[in-house]
Amino acid sequence: MQLVNGRRLHWRIRPVVTLLVAGLVAGCGGESGEPSDTLRVALLTSGPVSDAGWYAGAYDGLLLIEDSLGASISHQQTATPAEFDEAFIAYASSGYDIIFAHGNEYQDAAIRAGEQFPDVTIVVSGGGRISENVAPLIFRLEEGSYLAGMAAAYMTESKVVGMVGGVAIPPARGTFVAFEAGVRAVDPEIEVLEVFTGDWNDVAAAKEATVAQLSRGADVIIHNLDAASFAVFQAVREVVDEGNVAYAVGMNSDQNAVAPDVIIGSAVIRIADAFLATARLWQSGGIGGAAIYANTEQDVIDFVFNPVLMDRVPAEAIERIASTKAAIRAGDVDIPRVVFVEGEDEGR
Amino acid sequence: MTGGIAPARAREAALLGAGAVVLTLGAGALLLLAGGYDPVAAGAAMLRGSVGSWNTFVSITLVRSVPLLFAGLAVALAFRAGVWNIGAEGQLYAGAVAGVWVALTFSGLPRPILIPAVLGVSCVAGAAWALVPTLMRLRLGIGEVITTILMNFVGIYMAAWMVHGPLQEERGVFPQTDRIVEAARLPTLIPGTRLHIGFALGLVIAVALAFMMRRTRFGFHIRAVGAAPEAAAVAGRIDPARIVFIAFLASGSIAGLAGAVEVSGLTYALYENLSEGWGYTAIAVALLAGLRPGGVVITAIFFGALRAGAGAMQRDAGIPAAWVDVVEALVILAVLGLERVRAARPGSDVREGET
Amino acid sequence: MPVTSTFRVWSSWRARTKAASVSEPLVRLRGVQRRFGQVHALTGADLDLFAGEVHGVLGANGAGKSTLFNVLGGLLAPDGGTIHVDGVPVSLASPRDAWALRIGLVHQHFTLVPALSVRENLALGTRGRSLDEIGQAVEATMDRTGLRVPLDATVASIGVGDRQRTEILKTLLRDPTVLVLDEPTAVLTPEEVSGLFQLLRDLAGEGRAVALVAHKLDEVLAVSDRLTVLREGRTVLAAHRNDVSARGLVVAMVGDGIADEMALGVHVDAPTGAGAGAAAASRPEVETDPEARQVVAQLSGVCGERLENVTLDVRAGEVLGVAGVEGNGQHELALVLSGRRPPAMGRAEVPDEVAYIPQDRRTEGLVSEFDLTENIALGLARLDRFGSGWLMPWDAMGEEAERIRTRFQVAAPSTATLASALSGGNQQRVIIGRELALGAPMLVAENPTRGLDVAAAAYVHGELERLAAEGVAIVLISTDLDEVLGLAERVVVMSRGHVIDVPADERTRAGVGALMLSGGGEVA
Repeated sequence: MQLVNGRRLHWRIRPVVTLLVAGLVAGCGGESGEPSDTLRVALLTSGPVSDAGWYAGAYDGLLLIEDSLGASISHQQTATPAEFDEAFIAYASSGYDIIFAHGNEYQDAAIRAGEQFPDVTIVVSGGGRISENVAPLIFRLEEGSYLAGMAAAYMTESKVVGMVGGVAIPPARGTFVAFEAGVRAVDPEIEVLEVFTGDWNDVAAAKEATVAQLSRGADVIIHNLDAASFAVFQAVREVVDEGNVAYAVGMNSDQNAVAPDVIIGSAVIRIADAFLATARLWQSGGIGGAAIYANTEQDVIDFVFNPVLMDRVPAEAIERIASTKAAIRAGDVDIPRVVFVEGEDEGR
Repeated sequence: MTGGIAPARAREAALLGAGAVVLTLGAGALLLLAGGYDPVAAGAAMLRGSVGSWNTFVSITLVRSVPLLFAGLAVALAFRAGVWNIGAEGQLYAGAVAGVWVALTFSGLPRPILIPAVLGVSCVAGAAWALVPTLMRLRLGIGEVITTILMNFVGIYMAAWMVHGPLQEERGVFPQTDRIVEAARLPTLIPGTRLHIGFALGLVIAVALAFMMRRTRFGFHIRAVGAAPEAAAVAGRIDPARIVFIAFLASGSIAGLAGAVEVSGLTYALYENLSEGWGYTAIAVALLAGLRPGGVVITAIFFGALRAGAGAMQRDAGIPAAWVDVVEALVILAVLGLERVRAARPGSDVREGET
Repeated sequence: MPVTSTFRVWSSWRARTKAASVSEPLVRLRGVQRRFGQVHALTGADLDLFAGEVHGVLGANGAGKSTLFNVLGGLLAPDGGTIHVDGVPVSLASPRDAWALRIGLVHQHFTLVPALSVRENLALGTRGRSLDEIGQAVEATMDRTGLRVPLDATVASIGVGDRQRTEILKTLLRDPTVLVLDEPTAVLTPEEVSGLFQLLRDLAGEGRAVALVAHKLDEVLAVSDRLTVLREGRTVLAAHRNDVSARGLVVAMVGDGIADEMALGVHVDAPTGAGAGAAAASRPEVETDPEARQVVAQLSGVCGERLENVTLDVRAGEVLGVAGVEGNGQHELALVLSGRRPPAMGRAEVPDEVAYIPQDRRTEGLVSEFDLTENIALGLARLDRFGSGWLMPWDAMGEEAERIRTRFQVAAPSTATLASALSGGNQQRVIIGRELALGAPMLVAENPTRGLDVAAAAYVHGELERLAAEGVAIVLISTDLDEVLGLAERVVVMSRGHVIDVPADERTRAGVGALMLSGGGEVA
């Protein structure tokens, strides 16, 4: 392995830094000295894991894998395509078994690294390309989003609901298509507004978009954002504080506790569970050549009501959503979605 | 009877500089300790991730330094001519977009024609991006600091629109272009590493610029106009507007090249967020190099090593990205302090070389 | 005249100092040293300033006069030596320290903020008072001193003379007990110079110590009680005015050998102006009939910035003197005549190559961060004889620079010395050396001896005369009337952009002075 050779060279030509290197070996666990049968898992994100959403879920998954499977873990936040390559190479060449690359932006770099390092397995969240050792991990958030749409249809009084998105990539568009289908399943007359701000984390743009939809009469707002989701909740809260009735719907993770006064429920990806399941799948040799789907069947995708506001939800709604969830699991509901994985068929 | 630094003040400056280095590195270590991280492990990870092995140095540090090398040379050239081109970032994106467009549109051309076409057109695009601020300065007297910064935003969003619209991949799914053909990709410079010939091209440009500045009439005119435009015009009968025009556009083309080289040497497709602000970092690269092309090679590699080491600090020492950014900034401050020490050495005020 | 608070402070101070021993100097500098890189500006300067005296400081260019005054003003920290004020050893690490001891320095180079008005600039130096209060104090000081400036104009819009007056006012407003002036007279008209000298005498009469540097020996001798001469960074002579001769002072300034070599006698025994006149009279004539000489440059109906319908011929071998109060279009005329700026209207026929000595050597003449070779190359590299390739002829430039450094006695260790490390006089030598090497048929010189010492000024004058004798057309633009009258055979006055011919019988200080003012005088 190249790094081991490199280390030797390093010792020889740079005696000055030997002290530091000695500290390194003591300090960071000496990756090359560990037994090779320990599972080694790395995570790449292109945003901060403190976002209480998409990236945080991935980091929780990494920690869960560490706890449940005794894996040694590492995380790097990367910004540019050049860095993606570099991080894949660094992890693959130091013997990591699985690299979770949490976003479709990693897919080209993942394919390149996969070719160069056949022994590593790369899982690209929301990715669209497949190779022998690179698999997309597709979250069927449409299923939760469909249920959220039904909930929104029951809660709206103005018969107008809104959707505020970040970047209009296929997975994001898919959640909105499904949300709209869920709304119409309850009441085909309800008007559905849609806007993409072009940025997952632009708080100002998200708030502006939400305020615009509220002023057009929407009283339930769903989002598909990262850090900017707080702005959606804040905008809804300001309307509520003025004495109006309005709700937000959480997305990606269980955000009910983030704004318990305005969120009626959340369409949830239990990313951590999905990661753990994926790691277990790898251990059983089941990854390769195909996309991995996470859906309501494994309870990785779900819709959960906010217990604080539960008393405002009509009993009919709770009942109908529960039965629909069962029907989705049974494969009896045709949820529209946006296809983006190479060679993906209409099945699951 | 002005200028110069008295020995007493030189000593003072040297002490200040040395103090700055100790303080910033000490502050970095304390900060990491306070966050519950091991500063020794962090430092070791940084060293190992940047210069730990030949392959690390070549495949990561040098690769990282390539866009900084081009953009740094672009900034140094402009600043030398008294042109405050803060717009390397936008020019870089313009070059990247143009280069990808050529590579995708003329994908049937053979490599010896396609690669020069990609790079040449990216030069033109970078220069075109610099042309607006150039004309606004020369014709309307509007300072280029503001206009180049504004053109950065135009460039960044133009590239984003391109990958969502006209240049989006055939499948129309993700915000990126299709991958460019083999014939448009820069060959590897050192077999077995990721380093492409873009690095060598950057070195060639650095040497050429150094030679131009020192040995040619045009380079001398650039230095004269940059140092004292009135004296250049009155004593040297040089037309400062002409020099500014050429230097500004040349700076834009080199920055444009930075974008195309990154795409055809490394990523093989255009994405949003291609650059992590290289056009801005390039200003620090150029200033730290004293605007000397030869110096830019050193400082670009230094900043490349710093970024490479920063990644390793996250991976190997488990330090979060935000902390790594702070440590990185402190290292840059420490180096600036060291530079101050060097500049304050007795006698160095008599003549600074202008490589 | 209103009694200002300034005056009261002053009176109490005087009461204190009168009690002190007369033989004790107010300021005493001993063995002051200061180095810039490899250039030793001061190697052992002594200076005593007594209350109630005007003290003239003399020295050749680069002798260290400005450095010494900057040390006194707290602008430069000395590398060695001692400073006593009122018998107490002090450290002058900053201008603030100097002001705490009531030492006020009027700079040679302007320290005003161009974008601010004169009033605001004056206010910058005085803290804790409103603009109105400062306005009153300024009015009082202007009345008392006779120094008048346009308070509401921006500094960028006023002439050099007004800027100089503003600098002096700015210092006087803070009521110094030791007033130090570096080259205050260079840009003033003769009347203003005599007014300033009267003011300095009055200030000394109030019990202050006044020290000044001025390059014209006769001026210094006229105003000073005592004199200190610096040479190569050390004090070589300190004496009462009555105890030294002009000749003796010059010898002290430049040393014996050089004094002879430069044939200074003619300038030393008589006032500078008359000396130059004598030299002009003895010049061999190229062509006795001036009208028969070839026209080298011709302006007709030229208009432009500060130029109003200027028509002018310049002939080979003549010295055309252009007199006028600063800022009446002389600089613009120089740019057009030297081919540096095309006229906005009218016709200008000038030679392809014109040697030009600009008035602002620090921004127009030299690139201060370039070394000597590069500064020489700035002017000469474009000449055909150095080739026309795209490479710089550095070898030839280095030789030229070394030749000029030697021939024009530039006090620099080598041609790799930066221009910024040179004194003003040495910078001027570099420029003159370079421009003469152009071999141009015409030379435009704008205040070429401003800030130069007697020896250097005489040298410049000699060069101009030699060139004219060789048939070069010389345009000498100067605010120094003596210089113009002494050197030029034909004189014009510039006033508000107009060029006015001076008839032969009017070529006197009084006559030209009257014409200078008749056009309306300075741009207010």
